[in-house]
Amino acid sequence: MVETTTPETRPGTIEEIQEKTKSALEPGFLVICWNDPVNFMDYVTHVFQQVFGWPKKKAEFHMLQVHEQGKSVLTRDSMEKAEHYVHQLQRYSLHATMERDE
Amino acid sequence: MKIVRVSERFQCHIGKGEWALLTEILNLYPCITTSRHSGPAGGPDSSQNLLEEYLSEQRLENKQRLRAFLASRGQFEMTDKAWHFSVSIAELEWLLQILNDVRVGSWMLLGSPDKELEWESLEQPTARHFWAMEAAGHFEMQILFALKD
Repeated sequence: MVETTTPETRPGTIEEIQEKTKSALEPGFLVICWNDPVNFMDYVTHVFQQVFGWPKKKAEFHMLQVHEQGKSVLTRDSMEKAEHYVHQLQRYSLHATMERDE
Repeated sequence: MKIVRVSERFQCHIGKGEWALLTEILNLYPCITTSRHSGPAGGPDSSQNLLEEYLSEQRLENKQRLRAFLASRGQFEMTDKAWHFSVSIAELEWLLQILNDVRVGSWMLLGSPDKELEWESLEQPTARHFWAMEAAGHFEMQILFALKD
């Protein structure tokens, strides 16, 4: 991911990110966004805000996870919703996939 | 290019030279020709096929919309040095998607390099893709900056 600005949020600093338990979200497919060296950090943050309706801090958290760890699990949802999210992310030319959460 | 938010719309002011550059970039759309969907762990085949169909239809629709947008230049206000026009938030968001397609597609055409390209390694065919990637990125940042406000 291409660095643009340095967000204040770092991975692991937001308690609210420690999301709902698995059972609350079942059944599930994971929506994963993969790192690439071409999309701007600001752009990725913006897309996460648009697609998921997240506040900026949460979007930045996941953007940094993608940037630093190579990928981020963005959400876990039904197959239908996961497909929808992947379609939206691809529409913005982000590298996103979904996989069954075993 | 300067983009100023006025209530629910954005006023765009763009010099004629920069407009020519933007037009060149937009005319490269669609630039992504192959799917980026297949990752280390993709979804079910039916899902991937559906995605391909969806993206393909989307590209056609966007191309038509883009032609209409560029043809609407006659409605822009013109001064000696610049064009002035107004777009909605949705239109600006759409332009951002188009520009990023060109940026990412150009990067893919360069062979999806992991690191920043060295100028010395560029040749005539690759220089064109590099130029498109950088120019699309320039306009993207202008839009992102405007959307932030």
